[in-house]
Amino acid sequence: MNDPHRDVGATTFTTSRDPADDDAELLRRIGQGDEDAMAEFYREHGRVVLTQVLLVTGERVLAEEIVQDTMLAVWRGAGSFRGESSVRSWVISIARRQTRDRLRGRRLRVVDGAFLADQPGSGPGPEVMALDRAELAEVRVAIRELAPAHREVLGLAFGSGLSLPEVAGVLEIPVGTVKSRLAAARTALNRILNEKGQNR
Amino acid sequence: MNADSADTRSPHLDLEDLIAEVTGQPIGGRAREHLASCAHCQLEANRWNLVADGVRGLAADAPEAPQHARPRDTRRRALPRPVRHGLLAVGSAAAALVLLVVIGSAAGVVDVHFGGGGGGTQTTLTAVTGCAQLEQANGTLERVNGNSVVIKAASGQLVTVTTTAATKISASGALLSDITDGTLVSVAGTSSDGMIAADLILVGDKTSLTIPGITTVYGTVSDASTAGFTVVTSTGTRVPVTATGGTDVVVTRASLAMLTPGGSTMVVGHAGPSGTLSALGVVQPPDWPTGAHAGMHVGSCSRASIDHGILALAGG
Repeated sequence: MNDPHRDVGATTFTTSRDPADDDAELLRRIGQGDEDAMAEFYREHGRVVLTQVLLVTGERVLAEEIVQDTMLAVWRGAGSFRGESSVRSWVISIARRQTRDRLRGRRLRVVDGAFLADQPGSGPGPEVMALDRAELAEVRVAIRELAPAHREVLGLAFGSGLSLPEVAGVLEIPVGTVKSRLAAARTALNRILNEKGQNR
Repeated sequence: MNADSADTRSPHLDLEDLIAEVTGQPIGGRAREHLASCAHCQLEANRWNLVADGVRGLAADAPEAPQHARPRDTRRRALPRPVRHGLLAVGSAAAALVLLVVIGSAAGVVDVHFGGGGGGTQTTLTAVTGCAQLEQANGTLERVNGNSVVIKAASGQLVTVTTTAATKISASGALLSDITDGTLVSVAGTSSDGMIAADLILVGDKTSLTIPGITTVYGTVSDASTAGFTVVTSTGTRVPVTATGGTDVVVTRASLAMLTPGGSTMVVGHAGPSGTLSALGVVQPPDWPTGAHAGMHVGSCSRASIDHGILALAGG
């Protein structure tokens, strides 16, 4: 039975233990039906997952539903975690599948392979210059206008705390392709910023 | 190093190193030395840093944690304290709902979502997926008038609901006193030392779903007391069950008088004249946080399918 008066202080989970151990312990407790552990799991990962899903979907209500589905999947499947990846990349992978399933029927705008393979030039072309003079607020607006695949890879690389190999694991693509996609995302971002700059 | 995305023979930092630098992850000593002296790589790092800041800025804009109100009925189990304080909206709601939603969604008949509470644009009656003639209304119970109930939808609109003897009514709350010897119950909870500490007791109906981490048992109550009871299964096994005032009890064959005024209420039925609803089911599930809405799915318009959905809404 859950004791509603038992507070799980933040310091409990900020000791010198390896965070990965804490995550694994949380999952073990969730597997045993520990509601406090589930709440702690939300605190630990919920916001990152929500941010990532929101970045891809652009729809808050949908993103919240997907996170909810994701957390239910965690509740159900905590015992299936094998420790072959970090808990963070595991839960983001679940969220990604949930997102994909939800968006499957929407004819999501997909970035074609040729575009993804497009590499930025090695020299500082006009698009790079656009990024150099852009303000942060403009970059944020421009990121929202990127294709979902580009928003996704940027979110995973910079917003989720995952390493590039972990990002590759989540996306189920080689690390090299992650790099290509990141580079293409930045090229697209530059392009958007450049167009906006020309329209000012 | 030495693996620029455009030129694998480049002397400059590899994209992986640049990303690691921007995200505060460790990079090698040689890479760090190179970065300290290479204007090209510093510029690249600055560019990626701006992109990263943009992503982080969007993350900062992500929905903050609106505080969900405590359950409106203090007799009901309070949300766990860690959940009540400073969690994401989805977190706090889902944690409270997790057992019920697992049950309902596992049955494939309930879809719980959040948001829009109190908004004026919400539709008062919503269609039930799988049966076009069926409508659903969610709200709070305003009053009971004989065989009718009035619920207040999130839009503020009042909906009059008529019931008949065939209407399935489900109540919940601190209803342990309704569990007496001979009562048929399903108990879901945590098993330890041959006993079950009950989280949810379903009176009158059976749930046979397997839920990870949750033990369920179905049978007849014996030795009922204020602290718990023994469930005698069909095979004669006796399982001691402990219950407290915080244990959610759902009575699936309740009367209108057992419904809690002000409680979250869901009605499924057929639309009648002037916005009324002729109810097939009236449900007050336990621990339903403010802002939560449940949509019902049915396989067909058969009464059995509808009753199955109503039972899932009730928490079974």
